[in-house]
Amino acid sequence: MDRSIAVWVGAALALVVLIALPLGWLAYLSVSGEHGATLGHYREAFADPALQKALWNTVVLAFWTGLVSVAIGAPLAWLTARTDVPARGLIRGLVLASFVTPPFLGAFAWVMLAGPNAGILNTLWRSVTGAEEPLLNIFTMPGLVFVVAIYTFPYVYIMVANTLALIASDLEEAAAILGAGRLAVARTVTLPMVLPALASGFILAVLQALALFGSPAILALPAGFHTVTTQIWSLFQFPPKVEQAAAFSIPLLLATALLLQVQKRLLGRRGYAAVGGKGGQRRTIPLGPWRWPALAACLLVMSAAIFLPYGVLAKGAFVRAWAQPLSRDNLTLGNFAFTFFEYGSTRAAIVNTLELAVLTACVGAAMVALLSYVTNRRLVVGHQLVAFLVLAPVVVPGVVLAVGLFIAYTRPPFVLYGTLWILFLAYLTKEMPVGYAQADATFRAIPADLEDAGRVLGAGRLRILREITAPLAKSGIIAAWCFIFIGVIRELSASILLFTPSTKVMSVVIFDLKEEGQFGAISVLGLVMLALTFATVALVQAALGRDVLGARR
Amino acid sequence: MPGVILKALTKRYGDVGAVDGLSLEIKPGELLALLGPSGCGKTTTLRLVAGFLAPEAGEIWVGDRCLSTPTSVVPPERRRMAMIFQSYALWPHMTVAQNVAYGLRFKPGLSRGDREARAREMLRVVQLAGYEARYPGELSGGQQQRVAVARALVVEPEILLLDEPLSNLDANLREEMRFEIRRLHETFGITTLYVTHDQAEAMVISDRIAVLQAGRVAQAGTADDLYHRPRTRFVAEFIGRTNVVEGVAASRDTVTRGTVRLRVASGELEPGARVVLSIRPHQLRLGAPGDATDATNALRGTVRRTAFLGDTVDYEIAIAGSDLVLRAAAPPTPRFEIGAAVGVRIDPAGCVPLADGD
Ligand SMILES: Nc1ncnc2c1ncn2[C@@H]1O[C@H](COP(=O)(O)OP(=O)(O)O)[C@@H](O)[C@H]1O
Ligand SMILES: [Mg+2]
Repeated sequence: MDRSIAVWVGAALALVVLIALPLGWLAYLSVSGEHGATLGHYREAFADPALQKALWNTVVLAFWTGLVSVAIGAPLAWLTARTDVPARGLIRGLVLASFVTPPFLGAFAWVMLAGPNAGILNTLWRSVTGAEEPLLNIFTMPGLVFVVAIYTFPYVYIMVANTLALIASDLEEAAAILGAGRLAVARTVTLPMVLPALASGFILAVLQALALFGSPAILALPAGFHTVTTQIWSLFQFPPKVEQAAAFSIPLLLATALLLQVQKRLLGRRGYAAVGGKGGQRRTIPLGPWRWPALAACLLVMSAAIFLPYGVLAKGAFVRAWAQPLSRDNLTLGNFAFTFFEYGSTRAAIVNTLELAVLTACVGAAMVALLSYVTNRRLVVGHQLVAFLVLAPVVVPGVVLAVGLFIAYTRPPFVLYGTLWILFLAYLTKEMPVGYAQADATFRAIPADLEDAGRVLGAGRLRILREITAPLAKSGIIAAWCFIFIGVIRELSASILLFTPSTKVMSVVIFDLKEEGQFGAISVLGLVMLALTFATVALVQAALGRDVLGARR
Repeated sequence: MPGVILKALTKRYGDVGAVDGLSLEIKPGELLALLGPSGCGKTTTLRLVAGFLAPEAGEIWVGDRCLSTPTSVVPPERRRMAMIFQSYALWPHMTVAQNVAYGLRFKPGLSRGDREARAREMLRVVQLAGYEARYPGELSGGQQQRVAVARALVVEPEILLLDEPLSNLDANLREEMRFEIRRLHETFGITTLYVTHDQAEAMVISDRIAVLQAGRVAQAGTADDLYHRPRTRFVAEFIGRTNVVEGVAASRDTVTRGTVRLRVASGELEPGARVVLSIRPHQLRLGAPGDATDATNALRGTVRRTAFLGDTVDYEIAIAGSDLVLRAAAPPTPRFEIGAAVGVRIDPAGCVPLADGD
C-alpha cells in the first residue's frame, strides 16, 4: 500500500493548505478574544442592527432569486427540451451565454440601462412618454433580484433540461394510454419526475445568490443596503475588524453546507436516478399556434440577460458618453487607449489574471485528473474520502474563503498576503470542485475494462495510462482545464479581499473603475473578459463535441 | 499448452466471501465453463486468475508457474493470458486493426509489418477481413464481439479467459457465436476458462463444466455427468429441470414416501436415512393406468396440467395416494387430457440420490 501513502500525504498537504488552515483560522478567530475563548464577536455581529439587516437582506435576495430563477429556467428548459419551439439551438446558446457571463458585468450593464437618472431605458421612457419619473430603478431590492436571477436561472435550466432529456416519452405515454389527459400526464408523471431537479435547481440558485459579492456591491451599496457578503467586505475596510468578519462568515458557511446537503438528498432519491432508461424516445410536443409567442417570450428573457447588456457594454466601449445617442462625434476608440495605456493598473491586471488563470488551470487540471483517476479506479484505501474532500470547497462561499485565507496567510509561517500566491490558492480551492466534477465524469465514462483488456495482453500500468486512458480522457481533461480557466478570469468575491495594489486582477480593476465612474473603461475590460470567456467556451465545445450545458447533442 | 490449477482460493468483499475456498483444475487444452447464477463469484474467480485481484488465501498455478498467492501476484501483463470481456472493451480511439494488433506490441521480435500481417490474418479467421480500418463504434454488436475474439487470440495466449462474452448479443447471434467459439477452440486448442450463467451455453461450448455455488465449486464434470449424475440438489436444479422427491431409505436400494416406493439403481443407501432423489421429467414413462401396477417403480396418478411443446408434451401429474406432484416430459402420442388417470413408470437408473438435502 505504498502508493496509498504517497497519495494520502499529497492530498492531506493540499487539504491543509487549501481548506483546513484557512477555515480553521476562521473558526478560531471568530471565537478568540483577548482573554481566551469568547462568543463576543458573534454577539457583536448579530446584535448590530445594521448586520441583522444585512442578514435579512441576504435571505430575501437568495429566496427571491431562487424563485425567479425557477420561474424563468423551468419553462425555458421544458420549451427547449420537449417542444418544437423554433430556434431551440439558439436559445440553448443564449442560456449558455448567460451562464458564463460574469454577473458583475451584467450588473454594470444594467446600471447603464436602468439607472434612475441616466439609464438608457429610463431616458427612452421619458422621451417617449414625457414622464418625469424613471420607469425602472435598478438600485432597489427587486432590481438586484432581477439582475442576479437573469444570470442564475441557467442552474435551474441545466438541472431541468437534463432531467427532461432523460425521461423517455414512454413513461408519459404509458399514463396517457391509461386515460390520463395531457394536463393530467404533466401533473402526475412529468412534474413529479422533474420535481427533484426543480428543487435542486432552486437550491443551486439560492446558493449562488448567497455567495455573490459583485452584484450586491454594485447595486445594493448605492441603494444604501448591505448583504452578508458586502458586509463582510466592509468589515475588511480600514480599520479591519477581522474577528467580526470571521464570526459573520460562519453562518454563511453553515447555511451553504446545509443547503447543499438538502440538494444532495433530493437528487439521491430513487426514481430520479432511475430515470435514465434505455432506448426510450423523446418525442417533441407540437406547440401549434403558440410556437412563435413562446419564442418571443424566450427572446424577451434573453434580451434582458444578453442582448441589452452586451449591447450597452459594446456601446459603452466605443463612445465618449454612454448615455448619449450613438452619433458620429460620440464614437471613439479613446476608451481603449485610456484602458490599456493611460489607466495605471490595467495592463498589469490583465497579465496577472492571465498568469493566474493559466497557472490555476494547469495545476488544477493536473490535480483533478490525478485525484479523479485515483478515486474512480479505487487505487487507494479510503478513496471515497478523497472524493468527499475534493468536493468540500463547494460549501465555502468566495468571500468566506478569502477571509479564511487572509487570516491564515498574513501571519507566519506562511506570509503569502501581498503575493499572487494567495490568489492562486483561493482560485485553486474555489475551482477544484468544478474541475473535479468534470474529470470524474470523464473517467466514469471510460470503463475499467478498457484498461484491463490492455493489461491482460501485456501492457504495464503506465503504458496503459499513456496509450489507452490518456487519449480517451484527453478531451474531458481539457474541458476541466477550461472550466477552471473561465472560473478564474471572472472571480471577484475572493479577489476583492485578497488583492493588494501590486496584485490586482481584471475583476478588481473593473470594480475600482466603478468607484471612479469610468464606464467606458469598464465596458472595454468587460468585452475583453467576455471575449476570453467565449473563446474558452468554444474550446470546451470543440474538446467535448457537445455543449457545455451537458445534455446530449 | 499448460493447464490451470486453483487451490482453495478465497476472496472476500467486506463480509461477503465472493470466492470461498474454491478449488478447480483446468486440464491442458481444455475448455472449462464456470457456470452459476448471478453473484456466485464467477467474475471474481476470473479476475483472480487474470491477476487483477489478489487472493486472501489459496494459490493459482499455470503449468509449473505459481502465479498468485496471497503475498505475491504476477501482474496481468506478465501472465501470458488473454481475456474477452462482457463489454468487449474495444478501444474506441483505435481502429479494428490497431485493436487487434495491440497485444503483439509486447511480443519481442515482431516488426510493425509482422504485427499488421498477423492481425489481418486473425481478422480473416474471425471473418472480418476488410474491416481493418473501421473504428469499433462503426461495427455491429456481433462484429465487435469478433474483434474482441481476434484481439485475444492473435497473441497466442497460454490461457484464454472469457466473461459472459455472449450476453450482449441477441438470441440468433448468440447461437451462432457459440459454435464459432467452439470452432476456434478446436482450431487453436487454448486452455480456456469460460464464464457463463447460461447452462445451455455451457453445455454446447465446453468440454467440462464447473457449477459454482456461493463461491465454491458445487460439482465439476462433463455436461453428461452433471445432467445424469448430479450430486447436489443445487446442481440438479441448475442443470436442466428435475423432480425432487424427499423420502426415507427403506433398504439399500428402496426409498419410500408414504405409500410410494421407488427403487434406485445405485443401491448404496443407508436404511432409515433421509434421502432426496432427483428424477428428470423424461425418465417418467406414461401409459394406461392399469399397466403392470406391480412392476418396479410403477405409480398411478392424475393429469393436472399439460403443455404442448412440439417435440414433447409437458405433464404435471398428481401421484395417487400421496402429496407428490411430478413433472413428466413425454412424446406427443399417446396424449393424455387434463383429469385423465395415467400409469407412471420410472426407470430405477433415473432415480438419482443427491448428496445433500438442500
Ligand atoms: N468490487 C466489489 N465490491 C464489493 N463486492 C463485490 C465486488 N465485486 C463483486 N462483489 C460481490 O461478490 C459477489 C460475487 O460477485 P461476482 O464475482 O461479480 O459474481 P458473478 O460474476 O458470478 O455474477 C457478489 O455478491 C458481489 O456483490
Ligand atoms: Mg459476472
